Amino acid sequence: MHGRVKVKSTAQQEEEKRKEREKKLKAFVSARDAVLRKRSAGEHDEEALQLTQQLLSSNPDFATLWNYRREVLLQLETSREKDEVQKLYESELHFIEACLKVNPKSYGCWHHRSWVNTRLPQPDWTRELGLCDRCLSLDERNFHCWDYRRVVVKESGVSVEQELQFTDRLIGSNFSNYSSWHYRSTLLPQLHPQPAPDSIHSHRVCEEQLLKEYELAHNAFFTDPNDQSAWFYYRWLLGRGVCVCSLCLSQAQSEGLMLVLDGQPQQVEWRSTHPRLRHSPVWLCDLPPGSVSDISNEHNLTVHWTEKYTHRDCALYTGCAESWCRDSATDQELFRSELSVEKSSVLQAELQSCNQLLELEPQNKWCLLTIILLMRALDPLGHEKETLAHFQTLKEVDPMRSSYYSDLCSKFLIENTILKMEYAEVRVFSLSNKNLTTLCHLDQLLLVTHINLSSNQLLRLPPQFAMLQCLEVLEADDNAIESLEGLYHLPKLEEVSLRNNRILFAIQSKCFIRNPFSAFRASAWFDLVSRSQYSSLINSYRLCRIMEGQQI
Amino acid sequence: MGTQVKDVVIKPEAPNTLLLDKHADYIAAYGSKKDDYEYTLSEYLRMSGIYWGLTVMDLMGQLSRMNREEIIEFIKSCQHDCGGISASTGHDPHLLYTLSAVQILSLYDSINVIDVDKVVDYVKGLQQEDGSFAGDKWGEIDTRFSFCAVATLALLGKLDVINMDKAVGFVLSCMNFDGGFGCRPGSESHAGQIYCCTGFLSITGQLHQVNADLLGWWLCERQLPSGGLNGRPEKLPDVCYSWWVLASLKIIGRIHWIDKAKLRSFILACQDEETGGFADRPGDMVSSLWNLSHTILHMHIYFACDFSRTCHSLYRAYHSLRYILASVIYFHPGGSFPHSVWCGWSVFAGR
Repeated sequence: MHGRVKVKSTAQQEEEKRKEREKKLKAFVSARDAVLRKRSAGEHDEEALQLTQQLLSSNPDFATLWNYRREVLLQLETSREKDEVQKLYESELHFIEACLKVNPKSYGCWHHRSWVNTRLPQPDWTRELGLCDRCLSLDERNFHCWDYRRVVVKESGVSVEQELQFTDRLIGSNFSNYSSWHYRSTLLPQLHPQPAPDSIHSHRVCEEQLLKEYELAHNAFFTDPNDQSAWFYYRWLLGRGVCVCSLCLSQAQSEGLMLVLDGQPQQVEWRSTHPRLRHSPVWLCDLPPGSVSDISNEHNLTVHWTEKYTHRDCALYTGCAESWCRDSATDQELFRSELSVEKSSVLQAELQSCNQLLELEPQNKWCLLTIILLMRALDPLGHEKETLAHFQTLKEVDPMRSSYYSDLCSKFLIENTILKMEYAEVRVFSLSNKNLTTLCHLDQLLLVTHINLSSNQLLRLPPQFAMLQCLEVLEADDNAIESLEGLYHLPKLEEVSLRNNRILFAIQSKCFIRNPFSAFRASAWFDLVSRSQYSSLINSYRLCRIMEGQQI
Repeated sequence: MGTQVKDVVIKPEAPNTLLLDKHADYIAAYGSKKDDYEYTLSEYLRMSGIYWGLTVMDLMGQLSRMNREEIIEFIKSCQHDCGGISASTGHDPHLLYTLSAVQILSLYDSINVIDVDKVVDYVKGLQQEDGSFAGDKWGEIDTRFSFCAVATLALLGKLDVINMDKAVGFVLSCMNFDGGFGCRPGSESHAGQIYCCTGFLSITGQLHQVNADLLGWWLCERQLPSGGLNGRPEKLPDVCYSWWVLASLKIIGRIHWIDKAKLRSFILACQDEETGGFADRPGDMVSSLWNLSHTILHMHIYFACDFSRTCHSLYRAYHSLRYILASVIYFHPGGSFPHSVWCGWSVFAGR
């Protein structure tokens, strides 16, 4: 029922149509009733096949009929010789192919074909591959067919190489070829895997092949800069494979962490920084009382992460109140992967080419975004200014996705600030007046004591903000903050400045939902409510400036 | 050089306000036309059709116009010995319709009219060795069915009966290079499958496994110049994708990456001013319940403020629609809401 254009017609045409539909309906109903009657009577014969054939040809989504047909076929199998069974199912394949011509996107049809192949004494996979080729030549995006092809390839032992060449042909000849690029992304790691540190099945491609793929994608979007599939694929090529969340534990798995103090394993309870963060990169525990009270001695701590067979050591030196051990963001390749000389020069060349393309197509958002990603891969700090300028252009040429670009830009600015903080070896994080719309990588700010986020466009301090366990001073004036969820049990926080935000707005809207008539009462009513919310905030911190300038 | 972007053009005379009364009338009348051609031909999905219709009516505060007793009796007649539920009488049981039935009964607070334990057994029995779920005993595997399974069990409070680790493992194995999900491992990303998988991961508390920034980008790129959304690259916009794409974005916390105003005007333009209902794109034939329910739901999801990101809330929302309705009224620009909906709201206001 999708994709039928509505056309107005005369009264006579309406009447003719109505009669026609009534006739069709009657025929359908009588056939359907006959079939269901037969089935209730337990009849599994040729007539059942004929009746279901008639109905399924034009109603392939009537799943129960396929089920009945399978029951009949299974029944007929029991009274036939192998070669007859072969014929029976081969003719079934003919029937399915006829159905597919009418409706190439019926789940029921494709599944039935797969099922038939499991019943065939001798399936003909070459023929099946041919069917896939024909089907895809009519519609290269038919995912049912692609899924079926994957089954055929697996059963018939077609090589990954061959399939890769198949995608080469399709990509070379077609514009709408996202399905082919996708298939390629699954084939390459099988053929040219990047050796993974643990023996996990790698989804990444080894570097040598990767560099060839850049060229392939590059040629595609240079031929047609609006071929979005190639740009999507290219972004994957530029990315890093392993999910950064390798440090995430869940509440249930917190036993995976073991603390050893001065050689003695400790019984401790690990907890997340915020009740809403059940899967977190940051975990806290309290040392048993009295265990490090003697600051005249050095203490050695080790945390073992048993699941990953790794640990970190930390020494609390004599007279010190705090100590830490931290993997740097640069070492961990947190924000970009390490570049070999070869890869670096390839990406440099790619950047140059994309810049040339941009001169020809200054409004091409795919090109702009890719340039940004290339610059980040090569030198995030060095290209910061250009990156910001490109984001501005992106928002102008692709305004529908402004929010996305703002968030992505914020993310990159935060990454750069973390890197700068690391190089300077300071614990102050300052990003004010930078059009920040979102916060991320908050787990990297665990050691930060001072944070300045003033004059941005932040809407909330999310639960993840609670990971800033060392925070002493928070400045976030002149934003649009409504939610302070993240200001939760920050043990060292003393000074809070949240002037000119929208904290009242959130409280007010919650009140309105509960009782819509509150809007018509004196504002004194919700003043009372909001003040009580404020008082808990005000009482928590030595210095708290939040009353002024809250927007309604 | 360059491919043309596949899209539609919205005519200036297209509708630009929400024609709620027409939609309510359309649905209320839908079931009564039992001799209607399309109605009969869609019997194979009747249970889901009823669910979509009821949800929309409830959202519009007009659930009472539907025949509760008749529907409940109908559902009872659709439960088979194996515990599974079919789309209609005489049809075979399937996970899709088992979920729809459980959703309807949740909406009506009448879950115990069917044998709940048997439903749970039926769902559990469909889990495969690799953690995937078949749709029925005939063995079709699809991440849609993983979603149906956990959604059904979550509504019944019985998520613990399945092998959760394997179920999650299977869904994650369907994650693609672009952050999206397909039907089976190796399948291309598709908005409908993405909705099912993010919904699954939300219900099972595993959303942290999703690359929200990457997937969010792929999803927001579904929006075309007309404002409508397609289901995957280089396809035409379709109003039902408003639901799949938008709900997915909401689940992963990136709904603000879509241009709200443009999408809204696309959807309103899809309305049929004569018959009520929504076509899949402006100018096409009305695709009745499917589009209508998905559209109304999407619009409410979008404007909802009391929503948490989890699909759990989404599911509570399906049968606890006061939040949604309230949020819609609060956020509806200009406050020019049909009288009937406002009356409906006052009934709920007491909560």
